[in-house]
Amino acid sequence: MRLAILLVLSVRILMAQPAAQPPAQTDTEFFEKRIRPVLSERCLGCHGQVAPRANLRVSSRASLLQGGDSGPAIVPGKPDESRLYQAIAYRDNNLRMPPTGKLPDDVIADFRQWIAMGAPDPRGETPSAPVVKGIDWEQARRFWAFQPLRPVSQSIDAILKPQGKPVPANVWLRRVTLDLTGLPPTPEALAAFLLHPDKAAAIDRLLASPQYGERWARHWLDLVRFAETNGHEFDNEKNDAWRYRDYVIRALNDDLPYDRFVREHVAGDLLPNPRLSADGAYLESPLATTSYWFGEILNSATDSVKSRADQVDNQIDVFSKTFLGLTLACARCHDHKFDPLPTADYYALAGVMHSTRVREAVIDSPRRQAEIAQVLSQYPARPASTRPKLQLREGEELFTGFDAWRGEGQGIRVSEGVADTSGPGSLAATGSLTSPKFRMPRFYVHVLLQGPKYEKPKLGEGDLRLTLVADDYKSSHFFPTGAPGFTWKTERMTLSKDRTCYFELVDRSRTGYLAVAAIVISDHRDPPAILENAAVSPFTPNPDLEARLPFSTFAMISQDEDPANVRLHIRGSHLNLGPEIPRGFPQILRRETGPVSAGSGRLQFADYLTSDARPLLARVMVNRIWMHHFGRGLVRSTDNFGRMGDAPANEVLLDTLARRFIDSGWSLKKLHRDILLSEAYAKTVPIRRLEGEAIRDAMLQLSGRLDSTLYGPSVVPYISKYQDGRGKPPSGPLDGNGRRSIYIQVRRNFLTPMFLAFDYPLPISTIGTRGSSAVPSQALMLLNNEFVLEQARLWARRTIAEGRGPDTLVRSMYLEAFSRVPTSDEQAAALGYLQQHGDNEESRADLAHVLFNTAEFSYVQ
Amino acid sequence: MSSRRQFLARTANGFGALAALSLNALSAKGATRAPHYPAKAKSVIFLFMDGGPSQMDSFDPKPRLKKDQGRKLPFQPPTTVFNISDKILGSPFTFQQYGQSGTPVSELFPHVATCVDDMTIIRSMVADHSEHTAANYFIHSGSGFQGRPSMGAWVNYGLGSVCENLPGFIVLESGLIPPGGMDCFGAGFLPATYQGTLFRRGTTPVADLEPPAAERAKQREKLQLLSKLNAGIVQRFAASSEVEATIQNYELAFRMQTEVPDLLDFSKETEATKQMYGLGDKLTDDFGRECLLARRLVERGVRFVELLTPARSGFDRWDQHSNLEDGHRINAQSVDKPIAGLLKDLKARGLLDETLVIWGGEFGRTPCAQMGDAGFNKSVGRDHNPYGFTMWLAGGGTKPGLVYGATDEYGYFAVENKVHMHDLHATILHLLGLDHKRLTYRYSGRDMRLTDVAGNVVTDILA
Repeated sequence: MRLAILLVLSVRILMAQPAAQPPAQTDTEFFEKRIRPVLSERCLGCHGQVAPRANLRVSSRASLLQGGDSGPAIVPGKPDESRLYQAIAYRDNNLRMPPTGKLPDDVIADFRQWIAMGAPDPRGETPSAPVVKGIDWEQARRFWAFQPLRPVSQSIDAILKPQGKPVPANVWLRRVTLDLTGLPPTPEALAAFLLHPDKAAAIDRLLASPQYGERWARHWLDLVRFAETNGHEFDNEKNDAWRYRDYVIRALNDDLPYDRFVREHVAGDLLPNPRLSADGAYLESPLATTSYWFGEILNSATDSVKSRADQVDNQIDVFSKTFLGLTLACARCHDHKFDPLPTADYYALAGVMHSTRVREAVIDSPRRQAEIAQVLSQYPARPASTRPKLQLREGEELFTGFDAWRGEGQGIRVSEGVADTSGPGSLAATGSLTSPKFRMPRFYVHVLLQGPKYEKPKLGEGDLRLTLVADDYKSSHFFPTGAPGFTWKTERMTLSKDRTCYFELVDRSRTGYLAVAAIVISDHRDPPAILENAAVSPFTPNPDLEARLPFSTFAMISQDEDPANVRLHIRGSHLNLGPEIPRGFPQILRRETGPVSAGSGRLQFADYLTSDARPLLARVMVNRIWMHHFGRGLVRSTDNFGRMGDAPANEVLLDTLARRFIDSGWSLKKLHRDILLSEAYAKTVPIRRLEGEAIRDAMLQLSGRLDSTLYGPSVVPYISKYQDGRGKPPSGPLDGNGRRSIYIQVRRNFLTPMFLAFDYPLPISTIGTRGSSAVPSQALMLLNNEFVLEQARLWARRTIAEGRGPDTLVRSMYLEAFSRVPTSDEQAAALGYLQQHGDNEESRADLAHVLFNTAEFSYVQ
Repeated sequence: MSSRRQFLARTANGFGALAALSLNALSAKGATRAPHYPAKAKSVIFLFMDGGPSQMDSFDPKPRLKKDQGRKLPFQPPTTVFNISDKILGSPFTFQQYGQSGTPVSELFPHVATCVDDMTIIRSMVADHSEHTAANYFIHSGSGFQGRPSMGAWVNYGLGSVCENLPGFIVLESGLIPPGGMDCFGAGFLPATYQGTLFRRGTTPVADLEPPAAERAKQREKLQLLSKLNAGIVQRFAASSEVEATIQNYELAFRMQTEVPDLLDFSKETEATKQMYGLGDKLTDDFGRECLLARRLVERGVRFVELLTPARSGFDRWDQHSNLEDGHRINAQSVDKPIAGLLKDLKARGLLDETLVIWGGEFGRTPCAQMGDAGFNKSVGRDHNPYGFTMWLAGGGTKPGLVYGATDEYGYFAVENKVHMHDLHATILHLLGLDHKRLTYRYSGRDMRLTDVAGNVVTDILA
């Protein structure tokens, strides 16, 4: 069970060896004159007795033999096998000592000679026993977060005994409406509630509104560093990221049990009983696994192994914090300094992540597949394609085997080694074909392809292409040119050579096809000669059938690939590998889940989270919900339930909520209802500032511009002249077409300034608690930003169009914005302004603008 | 410059209620925090040479390269981004010794060369990343990933701002944003108030700084109405300090609106000054303006000013994978005179002692010719090299006239007195009076630092 730990331990213990016999006199002299001074001056500063770097001491022969994190420093008699010599010789670019500069050549030669002599060293001191700070698991399990849930059955109010007066009904309704939907209550909703102040009914109505899912999906997206582009230099798009956003909205609106939601995130592509979309067209569950892939992607990683290790690190960080409030990523380089999370636990989970890849998948349901197959079966049979004959040269090879690639959708056809995307001859047929991963060996890729001319769109990667993906970056595209027959297209692998690559053949276009007859990876700039060209059977489009062909659904989801354990990275370095660690999950919570027996281990990870780790999984989530309703969590450090996090302000309450959450079948809506119906919620909620998204959405609601359409591809953000840099997209509309903020595309390098000004979380890792800063840029934005001014004007126009006279104007605007009537002072001030400047659109826009700027607009009481 | 007193006088009616409320917050906003120990440097001007200037063509002469031009390197070089350089390329530029220190500088920097006795040239810089974006994040934030706090944010977090009317971290540009974008200047997990504010060229350099023309005339009256409508809110919201701060921000915002035009008005600068910075000359005007503006910002107490390399058609940034000779020449000409002007002007005004000037790119370049398939000709360039390159510092308590550290005879690896980027960051903070190990912020369960878990102050280069 604790095999990994034992392995690490035994490796360390084996390193300790007894000290050798005292050396002869001349040998000692050599050491004293040539070696000891150098060790003292250049090495002991970092590798002395106290807190030595890399746990390596050079203060005695025994210490050198014992070595540090990376093993023995010297192998007596064998300088070339001695890390000490390798390091000072500067042979390896990653192992160079002293780090501040190379020793003189004659000194290096001395060390070589000394080690060859057997490393005589009279220093008598024995090494201190290796300090292995073992984890006392019994002790560790006593920490509150790792304890079982306590048996409790009190209500929230019985535990908290809230004092004071409940807030007035209108304040309560504004609070609960903003909390649940992110929009202020309409005056109609307010009037209805004041007439029948039934809180339970109001909560049920809000929970049933689709705006609830939109609001709470955004909270969830903060946890999974949701982004729709890769960031880095060119900020390319992540295809279909929006489908994940919609998945979350639907899951919340459907009140999908949270444990199921978690299982789908971890292994939605592997679950035996995937859920279907509402229209039955595609599988819903796999969409959750897009969550692995929202990280930043380097466009030209120089080290594939490190790049992938960094990606896995981010996945571990996000998954361990989001679900368990554990900072497992802290154990990448060393055992966690505060929590019972040994490095082996990190690499056990890293093995799971390393055995998982992303793919451009088709997620059609069985029914949809049959519908597509039915239409495609009406096409006449196509004759086989013809394989090309090529004159390959020295220094090039055919990249073969489409049969071994993974095909998705029904448009992919492989015949005589020629792949095409038109299925039985339909332009509307779609699909994808993905190669296994390989290391790009040469500088040129020649592709023999055919298809109607296709040009890459300004945004996105395009939907008819053969793409070379290097370290998950879509680095080279081969688009069909429209030339008759098969012709060569060549790309230089400038940034991709030696990197971990795969090809993907993608056709998502209803009007085109792409056929590939050969991929030649070559040292030659020019493609090889064609002795006999390939051919695919010509076909005539059939507009009638093509119009009837049902659509496929594409998504970027996870899949298992080459499941394997990884070796421990000593001090986090992929260049310094320790023992192999079996795939598995943090031991501190392990109860029933056994070792990973097959596949990546994501299915077992799902079991582990929802079964072994159930109490913590529930605690972390109920705390997040509490935080959003009360402004702060019962555990204030929402993403860290470890020792460095905060202790729960009320452990009984936390466990009560967690237990009820589990008992309710992990129903988030029931949890909301529990919390919101409490006296505590009516009495003790502090003032909170709204997020930038909610401020923007409220403006849209008041202006009447709000388009409440649900779901779909994101709206490209508006790009002002103050935003610049590589990967700048063509600007989207100033008002985002009136769509709610959650539908504004999250472009890593072009995040929306208005959201950023109000502490939008950067999509880097899990951020469960947003900041709430007060900075002048917020004031400048609300005062001068053209979007804000435009919405103020639209609101003014709406008041005129609705025929509101000056007598009711101020009152009606206050009701819309703040769910209350103005005080007499406020009424007088507002009317005074209108009287002074005339009651016209201009002045009303000024008033609307000023109302947007009041503190009351951005805060919830 | 508008003082708070003037502001109060101007807005005594109506807006006054708001103003009176804000006195406390203002002093908080302008508050400085005590450094960890006394220091000379109060501000930083970071001349960021986007793209990676070549060390062996500027401040680190390598005669061996000329001798061995065309030969292969005698060792296996590390993986580079383009990975197609193995033939040695000598510098096309000649070096000459300058100043009392006799420091060699190439013909690319004849003006900066006249300041060598005020500079500390570090020839042994080492960084961790071979491609631009990660390297840009790294030089700015000590991490190769997106979304970590930039140096300027850390410095303001550590020292606070002495400037009431301007942000403490300002980035000046002339048409080019480095790879990695605005995240190079972000506040990361630090409070948003510390993030870099980008000043674009032109009269309204900051987004939303000014109202549209039609709004301008009535803004005062609207603010007065706002003040009245906000009056009851603080009471209603039970005197939340956060709400108060939000209301008070309108005053700071208003003052920024008036401060910036004054800042950008160069009419009171003498012709001699403008000339010294190269204003008015086609090639030097862009960066000259950035340099002059940097001095004016530092004079106003802005803590951290970063200057970005100007756009140069055909030779954007210092990233000369090809056409090294022409590209480096035009990039150097664009900044050489303005930088020398800045150093001399700061010195003449007695500001150099308390201003740390930093020059450098995210990495240096390889000693090899990058030439792809075309072969060896005048259009060759150099690839990226983070293993040994040059940066220089001036003022702010650095040791003047010093050349520190060395690369090997090919200029590929730093071999003597290596200064890792973490070390430089530690040293920069030290010069400002901040202990890089104590300047921490709790994030993600850890006390995060600009220097991660590394960094040593390079005491040899301290005055």
